[in-house]
Amino acid sequence: MPDQAFDGAFDKAGTAPGEGAVPAVRVEGLWKRFGQQIAVNGIDLVLPAGRFIGLVGPNGAGKTTTLSMITGLLRPDHGRILVAGHDVWADPESVAEVKARIGILPEGLRLFERLSGRELLAYSGRLRGLPGAEVDKRAAQLLDVLDLTGSQNKLVVDYSTGMRKKIGLAAALLHNPEVLFLDEPFEGVDPVSAQTIRGVLERYTSSGATVVFSSHVMELVESLCDWVAVMAGGRIRAQGPLAEVRGSASSLQEAFLELVGANGRSAAGDSLDWLGGGSGAGAGGTQR
Amino acid sequence: MSAATSPATSPVTTTAPVPSLTSVFVRLKLALLRNGLRQSGGRTVAYILSIVFGAVLAAAMVLAFVLLRGSADADTVAILLTGVLALSWTVMPLFIPSGDETLDPSRLVMLPLRPRPLVRALLVASLVGVGPALTFVLALGAVLALAHGAAATVLAVLAVPLTAVTCVALSRAVAAANVRLLTSRKGRDLALLSGLVIAVGMQFVNFGAQRLGRAGGLESLEPATAVVGWLPPAAAIGAVDSASKGDYAVAAARLLLTAAVLVALVYWWQRSLVRLMVEPDGSTIGAASDAGAKEKSAGSGLLARVLPGGRTGAVMERSLRYIWRDPKTKAAWVTSLAIGLIVPLFNAFQGAGSIYFACFASGMLGMLMYNQFGQDSSAFWMVAQTVSTAADAYAELRARALALLAITLPFTVLVTGVTAAVLGDWGQFPEALGLALGLLGAMVGTGAVTSASFPYSIPQDSGYKNVAPGQGGLAWISIMGGMLAAGVLCSPLIGATVYLHVSDQQSLLWLLLPAGALYGALLILAGLKLAAPRTAKRLPEILTAVSKG
Repeated sequence: MPDQAFDGAFDKAGTAPGEGAVPAVRVEGLWKRFGQQIAVNGIDLVLPAGRFIGLVGPNGAGKTTTLSMITGLLRPDHGRILVAGHDVWADPESVAEVKARIGILPEGLRLFERLSGRELLAYSGRLRGLPGAEVDKRAAQLLDVLDLTGSQNKLVVDYSTGMRKKIGLAAALLHNPEVLFLDEPFEGVDPVSAQTIRGVLERYTSSGATVVFSSHVMELVESLCDWVAVMAGGRIRAQGPLAEVRGSASSLQEAFLELVGANGRSAAGDSLDWLGGGSGAGAGGTQR
Repeated sequence: MSAATSPATSPVTTTAPVPSLTSVFVRLKLALLRNGLRQSGGRTVAYILSIVFGAVLAAAMVLAFVLLRGSADADTVAILLTGVLALSWTVMPLFIPSGDETLDPSRLVMLPLRPRPLVRALLVASLVGVGPALTFVLALGAVLALAHGAAATVLAVLAVPLTAVTCVALSRAVAAANVRLLTSRKGRDLALLSGLVIAVGMQFVNFGAQRLGRAGGLESLEPATAVVGWLPPAAAIGAVDSASKGDYAVAAARLLLTAAVLVALVYWWQRSLVRLMVEPDGSTIGAASDAGAKEKSAGSGLLARVLPGGRTGAVMERSLRYIWRDPKTKAAWVTSLAIGLIVPLFNAFQGAGSIYFACFASGMLGMLMYNQFGQDSSAFWMVAQTVSTAADAYAELRARALALLAITLPFTVLVTGVTAAVLGDWGQFPEALGLALGLLGAMVGTGAVTSASFPYSIPQDSGYKNVAPGQGGLAWISIMGGMLAAGVLCSPLIGATVYLHVSDQQSLLWLLLPAGALYGALLILAGLKLAAPRTAKRLPEILTAVSKG
């Protein structure tokens, strides 16, 4: 990638001075099909570096599939993906460049759960080739900041959902990645843990790093992100700075419903006329 | 899934007839099978191969039984084979890959089902499949060989389905009881015991086979036949035999006994199921109370200090920890170590053994290298994230092989040594050890290659399953193909041993020790070198394969 002069066009929010114009993520014509179903339908995406970026969309929009392909966990059918200027699916050297620069917190994939929290961090840091002493130092600090020190010797299998997300986040941050990908990081997390995660992420982006996270909770995205990409039905419906995507709508939620065309649908009253407390005998009633 | 569940949920209107639970479960099972196969063409091929194999086997057995008809030994063969069949059904849920979501009670907990219809439905659903069909055909073959006369024919019509159903019920009842064991805290260690029981059980089968060989002919098995003929479900086949010989009272007793045992089995299964469904999931409770014991891992310096640094050390440390901490890994290891020790030693004590039985240990232990990434389940993404080149993959695989060898290498030497000591046959120790090491190397080498080429997922959430639905054929191909390849790879060593013996060059036999060790090491190296680029290239595919289920 040729060095390009700093271009302030992306810098409306005023964060991350010094980031070059090489976007954190550039996706071109990305396409993925599972059997008959097209999960990601030829999307183009440019996510600027140094931002807190939200990838929003309803369940089944293709968010997880997209993130998996961007992070090298799922092979795309077509398309090109550059992370920090390096091709994710090219030769091993380029892949190595990408993998060293990113951190991931996937959704629905396990961790090595029969390790304790501290052992898990020690393991993943060493896998990344960091020196042992450095790993242990960083792990101790991350455990402290994420409020996990008290449970560091407990097996991850015994952790609550919030604790799992936090230890996963710690493992993703351990090698100080340039770009952090988080798939539904707040799903099923209690408010206290969510606040802790939020604090760590805000601190991380303020240092110039990029966070890309997926969510279907619009309020959350609106309060955290300065850049948004809206996905539905395997396509990108809108992308850009938060204010731009929101446009004239009163909230991101409104703008989103308009974008995916779900606003006009009413509560569909008469098709559920049998639904209601105590009036009829359903299947459960007859079984008893 | 929606296709599978819709029959259960759609007929909510009170006027439409509610389909019976049994037909819902059978359809669910067929739908799951179809969906599992639809996910990948390779699996379909594997499944069809297993069906073809099963059909050929069944046809051959029926033919053999028909040819056996009228022979004096027909009763012995038919009854004992049925006994062995029932035994394998009993043991199967404990060790052999089987993925049957329809039979997993944890999936059914939330449904308003009463135990009796549920068990009936589950029993019928578990009769659908290649295994039960094969069993049915074998039972049919057995009565074809035995039934003479009208009474026997009538009994045979009853005995065949009774045998098949009893086999399946036996398997399900044992599986349910085993899940209760596996999910309770104490039980997890008890489950290891079942590994030992199996090891000893295999030894009995071995004794029987040896006796058969020595005492010349099937007559020596007559006493066994007398006993097994009263053990259901073989008793049902025994009933047909008795009826053919005119002992109608005995025949009736045997058939009734089988029926009674079937009822008892179903009752036992139902009780286990009910307990499983109303009790809290013991796996988390057990794990939580583990936490106290883990305090000492704060001082876990010991392992870390002994192991090398970097990726090698980290991977070895994790692999070794998982042997102890992961219930499935632990059970696999204990079973392999126990069988590997017991088979050569029992044979040696019995005086019938040969020091070459020590190779059994290295074979069993080498199998633990198979499906390395499947053992990680979807946590493999953490590995995939840090592997980009073939060199990375090589380091990862080498560290896993080293962790395995850290235990299996000394164990192999120990087993060979102890066997030699019991036999008092130190003269053959070097060549036997050389062979054992060569075999261990071949198993680890092929294990690395199959891990990269044929990964399959081992579902972690259920004690019921060792393979995700639809991947059973893939698992078998991976294990069987790998073992076959390992055998072929060892043939130069075996050939050299035989040659030196035959050509009377006993003085050179010691050479097999360094040759076997070197050859084994080379095979491991070759296996790793072959597997590493495949692994690095197929990371996303491996992750997809091991994340199923």
